[in-house]
Amino acid sequence: MKFETRWPPVPAGILIGVSMLLAFVVAGRGIGASGAMTRLVAWVQHGLFPTATEQSVYFGKYFVDGAHPLNDYVVFLLVGLLIGAFVAAWRSGELRLEVLRGPNITNRNRLVLALVGGVISGFAARLARGCTSGQGLVGGAELSVGAWAFLICVFIGGWLVAWFVRKQWI
Amino acid sequence: MNLWLAIPIGIVFGYALFHAGFTDSRRIAWAFYFKDVGVPVVMFSAIVTGMVGLWGLSLVGLLDISLVYMLPTYLLPMAVGGVLFGVGMVIGGYCPGTAIAAVATGKIDGMVFIGGFLIGSLVFGDFFPVWGDFYNSDYLGAFRLDQWLGIGLGPMVLIIVIVAVVGTISMIFVQDFVWGEKDTVTKSRPFMKLQGALIAFAIVIGIIFAFFPTESFIDDTVETPFYIVPKADMTSTGL
Repeated sequence: MKFETRWPPVPAGILIGVSMLLAFVVAGRGIGASGAMTRLVAWVQHGLFPTATEQSVYFGKYFVDGAHPLNDYVVFLLVGLLIGAFVAAWRSGELRLEVLRGPNITNRNRLVLALVGGVISGFAARLARGCTSGQGLVGGAELSVGAWAFLICVFIGGWLVAWFVRKQWI
Repeated sequence: MNLWLAIPIGIVFGYALFHAGFTDSRRIAWAFYFKDVGVPVVMFSAIVTGMVGLWGLSLVGLLDISLVYMLPTYLLPMAVGGVLFGVGMVIGGYCPGTAIAAVATGKIDGMVFIGGFLIGSLVFGDFFPVWGDFYNSDYLGAFRLDQWLGIGLGPMVLIIVIVAVVGTISMIFVQDFVWGEKDTVTKSRPFMKLQGALIAFAIVIGIIFAFFPTESFIDDTVETPFYIVPKADMTSTGL
């Protein structure tokens, strides 16, 4: 990647921090990605099984008083995220369909592992009440004890299994 | 608030994620092998920026901290969730925000990861009664590191800045030590000069914070119970 495309990590991180700060000032809360996806599955399931979803202990809160689960700050933020990444990639000429993987794994196996990792992360993000951004970065900036515990544990978890999936990446 | 204001915020976030190189799953996963330490360095920088901005703006009176939603701590569920999340991250190569950004740039593995992520969220929600008690356990409220350590907020900010700076420099050192200096782009002179200047700036701000009287503006009695499933709901299901 060229200099213009791959920024050094410190200024890139600062710009992410600035987006978080904008969110604090404008919305009174931080940035996040996983909350919008929970709302998306709640909405889809509601389309299929409306009564069961409204009575669900976990998803029910999104439908209180006829609320629409997608009419929320986190969903609009996610739309912005898609636009921002698309524009940045398009301007850098990096927009193309591809499977990213290490040199020692087939495309099919990479996609299987992507799915498995996705399922585990999806479950874990709900258990931890947020993901890297919504819990880790925002909570980290707010000096939350739980968020720092989460961040440290993310790296512990990653290192625990890194050896077993090394062929996927290196 | 007007929800449409969230769109430009998301655009900045997505734009930065792309330029951090995080639409590429390998760059994220390599963090766990110290082959590319961009992930922890970006996270440190983002946290320091957000932290200094959040507390700094409240100190100068531009931001009412009591209106900002403070994330509550459920220590054990968050720690267990963190370990699982890290496992998912090194297997899948993404976290949710970066995967969404990767989808926008056409990465097929990112799309599959998001598919899995949606399934995982659905399983959590639909079988919530199974782990609901654990999810709501070990509740400590909005509990900050400075309260936990019994020190002032200002010194805590300085400590985090120091942790971030030492973490960043040692991560880069470990990467060089384990893998050699192969990453020529991020080691180029303009890169290092720019980052060195920014790090020095962060240290100066952290030191200013440490000597600022911060006790006056925080009301620790206020807590906003956003997104918390009330305990009453648990009992209504007979659990």
